[in-house]
Order: sequence, then structure tokens, then C-alpha cells
Amino acid sequence: MKNSDKEMQLLKEEIYKMWELVLSQLEKAKQAFMNNDVDLALEIITLERRVNAFELKVDSNCENYIALFSPVAIDLRLVLSAQKIGIFLERIGDLAAGVARHITDRDKSRMDEQLKEGLDLENLFDTLLHMLSDCFVQFRTESTHAYRKILAKEEIVNAIYEKSFLRTADYLKANPEEIPYGLKAILLIHRLERIGDYCSNIVEETVFYVKAKVLKHKGKTE
Amino acid sequence: MADPQIKWRKIKNDLFKGLVVFLSLLATLPLLLILFYILRQGFSSINWSFLTNLPKPVGESGGGISNAIVGTLIIVGTAAVMAIPLGVLAGIYLNEQRNSKVARYCDLAIDVLQGIPSIVIGIIIYEWVVRTMGGFSAFSGSAALALMMLPFIAKTTQETLKLVPNHLKEASLALGVPYYKTVLKVIVPAGLSGILSGAILGIARVIGETAPLLFTAFGNPFMSTELSKPMSSLPLVIFNYATSPYEDWHQLAWGASLILILIVLTLNMITKFIESRWKIQF
Amino acid sequence: MEDSVLKLKDFNAFFGENKVLKNINLDIEERKVWTILGPSGCGKTTLIRCINRMHEMTPGAHTSGQIFLKEKDIFGINPVLLRRKIGMVFQRPNPFPTMSIAHNVLAGYSLNGIKLSKNERNEIVETSLKDAALWDEVKDKLSQKGTFLSGGQQQRLCIARTLAMKPEVLLLDEATSALDPVSTAKIEELIFQLKNQYTILMVTHNMQQAARVSDKTAFLFLGELIEYNDTKEIFTNPRHKKTQDYITGRFG
Repeated sequence: MKNSDKEMQLLKEEIYKMWELVLSQLEKAKQAFMNNDVDLALEIITLERRVNAFELKVDSNCENYIALFSPVAIDLRLVLSAQKIGIFLERIGDLAAGVARHITDRDKSRMDEQLKEGLDLENLFDTLLHMLSDCFVQFRTESTHAYRKILAKEEIVNAIYEKSFLRTADYLKANPEEIPYGLKAILLIHRLERIGDYCSNIVEETVFYVKAKVLKHKGKTE
Repeated sequence: MADPQIKWRKIKNDLFKGLVVFLSLLATLPLLLILFYILRQGFSSINWSFLTNLPKPVGESGGGISNAIVGTLIIVGTAAVMAIPLGVLAGIYLNEQRNSKVARYCDLAIDVLQGIPSIVIGIIIYEWVVRTMGGFSAFSGSAALALMMLPFIAKTTQETLKLVPNHLKEASLALGVPYYKTVLKVIVPAGLSGILSGAILGIARVIGETAPLLFTAFGNPFMSTELSKPMSSLPLVIFNYATSPYEDWHQLAWGASLILILIVLTLNMITKFIESRWKIQF
Repeated sequence: MEDSVLKLKDFNAFFGENKVLKNINLDIEERKVWTILGPSGCGKTTLIRCINRMHEMTPGAHTSGQIFLKEKDIFGINPVLLRRKIGMVFQRPNPFPTMSIAHNVLAGYSLNGIKLSKNERNEIVETSLKDAALWDEVKDKLSQKGTFLSGGQQQRLCIARTLAMKPEVLLLDEATSALDPVSTAKIEELIFQLKNQYTILMVTHNMQQAARVSDKTAFLFLGELIEYNDTKEIFTNPRHKKTQDYITGRFG
């Protein structure tokens, strides 16, 4: 194998590992949230540092690869997209840690089961996990055949997000004493919606890497 | 597309080409004429006995020039043995030490030596060799011819080796090959075809020289193979017979000329063959 | 440094009055690829020609300071023996035109009059050509002239010829600058393989090549060693402004 190919492989492996870590962070965030598992939440917060370290590593790998091998075409796109995907993954990691902090919040950590159901949060978590892991498969296999499906899942996320305001409002009307918590819950939902956005960004970067097609700021004609 | 300007240009082109070809052919014309004339004159006198018999006195027919042919081979051969090693070594030196003062001096000296008229060389050798040895000899003739070949061979060796790229020398040195081995085993073999053809051309050049032989080898009507005695040779035979008043000796001179020219032509052909066959691609 | 193979200490080189290398200090570790980078005329080639003492072949050239090969001052070694330990490959492929491919590989032995048995010869030819990644291309025509090969193959033949002498250090003087990109890539790959066995010091104008194949890069400017470091560092974060200007192409 050529030296540049070896370095490219290392670069890819780094981003795979990061991706796996972020996926497990998100998975743990879901578990911790659904089961109100404070210990697990603390673990997420500790691991957040590793995600950050990965971002730096991916960054410098990309920089070195460009400096040493002056990649072109698909190699160049891989490096460019890997760097951005690194940023997006790190933000997803941040947001997962944000969810964990929500759980460890001393004031009130447990979300009312009724509200949890009403907001359809389990579905939301699952959708996000699917998006992120499906996209991971696409990136690893350098195929893009399912990217539309993945992007379509963002609609589910948006639908849940849009409904969440009314649902929360209804819940707060019935339980006015929960208003401080309710506001936090809105923040939580917002975080999850952001994760959806980043997942879409990652899909776009993957498509750019594999097919040299720019999806950004297109097809979002509401 | 018949642009008149282009058409005119084409015509000019063709005219020029035609002129060049014509002039080149014109230049070969003297050679062809000489060959034709000598062939016509000399061919009739060439037969087996011409090649194998000794000259006969005037009036007797069937005289040959075998002593001259053998003499030429011996004189020129001895000259080559003397001049080639010396000339090649000098050429190697001139090429290897291009920047040294001694080499530049040698280079100049060789150029001048090349320019010395053959008659002058003859008289010098007469003075140095013939008189000190006490008489005309084939050896002194060889020495004169060697002196004429020497600068030519040194020059052709130098020119040939100049074309051997320096990077071959560096390649050899970088492999830890000592300098003298580099010269002998890399540089000289790379230029071998040029050196060889230079040597042969050198022989071809001096084989027809008459002037230096007049005072040295002198000529000999009998078969002689001793270097210390006078010896006959083709140019001498031609000179003597052609200047004689007898018609059948003139015939012999034509025959000897033809033989001489054939030898020179053969040597030239051998050179061409060596050059094309052993040509080394760098 | 303990494991340095080559060590230059306060080294200067001259052409007549002209000082072309100024006070060079450099430690070159074993089994690493070093690149000397720098603009034309900065003394790169002179530097590596000093290391196998080819520099002093030029009339008027001389040096001062020391170079150590494994703790031994090279100026105390007979240059002929030194050059068998420090092999060199030149800018232009220069196989011996009078020799076959096999004889070219063995040239270092045959020209030096070192006798080898038939088995030894075959073995050296095969391993050297394999090490130079040329064996598969020429194994059926070992008795053909080396000059019939393509430029890239010729250059690998020259590398094989150098490797046949089992040198401790390999010097490459712009070894790919006369070759096409495909041949260049092959030689670069080869350099990468050879790193496992040899210490390699190469000179190049091609910055990308330095970046691709070398572990360490030294930047030479007007005979001075401006800086040296890991290649990654030099190409992402050079310490010296001159280095930065050179590698970014903003020179002069």
C-alpha cells in the first residue's frame, strides 16, 4: 500500500472511532434520559472530553494530510469533509452532554412520564440515532444511495419539534407549578432538534465526499 | 487554399533544396571520377601475378608489386603499434585533465604537430633516425608515419571521450571504483568504438603518404621484411614507376594506385561499420 | 544523539574562495528518510556530495569541519572505501552503457575487481533488483543492455546497483527530477520501502516529494541550515520565516 494510502486509512479510522464514540454518547444519552439514569449521565459528561480530543486529532490529521500529500479529487473531498464532519460530531457530542446535564440537574431531573410520552421523545432519540448510524454506514461504504431516506428523517424530527411547543404549553397549563422545568424541557427539545440538523449536515458532507455533489442550502424549499 | 504567398514560399523551398542536393552531388563528383579513372587504368594490370610477383626489370613483362604490398603492411603496422597506444593515452590525458596547464600546452602542441607538412617530418626523421642508424630503413619510415598518426589519434580519442557523459564517471566513482579503474573500465570502453575508428582512420590517412617515406624507407626492389633495411611500399612504388619513362611501369603504377585506393576504401568501410555496430547509446 | 549514523559538525564547504556551505551541524538517525530542501544554488547537492566525498573531486573544492559516519571521521577513511558504504544515486539515470542489466547491478564488484562465485552473483542481482522493485520487470532480460530500459527503470537499475554494494547510507541527488510522474511515484514508494533497511538522505526541488516520503526535512538557504525538524512540523508549522516563505512559494 502506498504511504499516502496508509495515512489516509489512519485518518479515516480516526474519524470512524470518533463517530462510534459520538454514537454511543447519543445512545447513552437516550438511555440515561429515558431511565433517569444519573450515573450514566455523569459518564457521558466525563466522556465528552474524549470527543473533544478526537476533534483536535481529526483536525490535525486533516491538516497534516493536506500539507504532506496535497490531495486532489476524492482524496481532497474526503479530507475537507472529514474535517467538517469532525466539527459536527463534536457538536453532537456537546449536545449529548447537554442532555446529560439536563438529567444531572439538581432542581428536578425527572421529566414527568406524561410529558415524556406526549413529546414523543423516545421516537425522537431513535430517529436521531438512526440518522447518525445510517449516515456512518454510508460514509464507511462510500455509498450514497440511502441519503434521501436519511435526510427525510429530519422531517420526523422537525414534526416532533414543532408539536413540542403546544404539547408543553398544554402540559404547563395543567401543571403551572412545573413552568421552570417546562422551559428547560423546551431547551432540551431544542438541543435534540439541533442534533438532527447536524446529522443532516453530516449527510450532506458525506454526499459531497462520495459524489462531489453539493446539497447544502438546496431542496429546503418550504 | 492556393494562397499565392504560400505557393511562392513552397517554390523557394524546393529551389533551395534542389540547389543543396545538386551541390552535394557535385562534391562527390571528383571522387567518382577518380575512382572511375583509376579503375579503368589500373584494372587491366591487376591479376594474381601482379599481386604475388616481384618487380621485373624494364622490358620484361609480368612484374608484380608483392614486395610493396608487404612493405606497406609492415611499415604502417609498425607505425600503428607505435602511435596508437601513445595517441590513445595522450587523448585520455587531454580529456581527463581538461583544465590543467600542461594539458592545454599538450593540446596546442598536438595541434601544431598535426599541421607540420609531411615532407618536413620526413626530413626530420631522416636527420634523427636515418643518419643516426646509418642508413635508410623501414623502421625510420614507420617512425615518420607514426609521428603523423600520433596527433590524429590523440585528437580523435580526445573528441570521442569528450562525448562520454561525465555522469558515467561519477556513477563509477560513487560505487567506490578507484579513478584509474574508472578511466580504464568505464570511460575508455564507453568510447571504444570512436577510439578504434579513429585509429583505423589514422592508418588510412598515412597509408598513402609518400613524402616522409622518400627519405626513410627509401624503397627496395626486392622482398624485404627486415625493419632495419630499406623497404618498398605502395606510395613509393607509385612514385617511382609513375615518374619513370617506361610505359609498362606506368601501367604498374596505375595498378598499385588501385590497390592503395582499395585498401583505403576498405579501412573507411571498416570504420563506418564499427561506428554503426558498436555505437553506444548514452 | 546515540543512534545517529551521520553527524555533521561545524561543516563548511568551499569552491575556491566561495563558501557554499556555512557551519552545518546535523544529526541523521538510522533508518530515517531525510530530505534536504532549498532553492537552487543553496548547496543541497554540495552537501550530499561532501558526504561521499565526491565534492573534493571538483578542482578547487575543499572543506573544513567534520563529518562522522557511525562515530568515524569520514575524512580519515579512504574515499574509495567510503563510497562503497555511502551509495549515491544521481539526478540523471546513468547505467553503464556497455553493460547488461545484470552486469550493471554487479558493476560495483566487477569494476573493483572483486571476484564473486556464480551463485553469489545471481543472488546479488536478484536481491538487489527485488529491493529496487525492478526484478519483475527485467528478470527475463537480464542480459540486455541497461540503456534499453525506460528512464524510470534505468533509475531503479541505478538504485539496484547502489544497493548491491550494501551501503550504510543512501544518497539521492534529485533522483526523480528527470522522470515522469508514474516513475517518480514508483521511486518514492521504493524509498519508503528502503527506509526499513537504509538511512536515506535525499535532495529535491520538489517540495511535495519531500513531504510525501521523508520523515525529517532540513531547509538549506544560501549555504546555511535554516531549520530542520519532523517533516510534518516543517510543512504545517515552520519555525523560521524563510522556511515558510520557501514552502509556500513566496520566495524573493
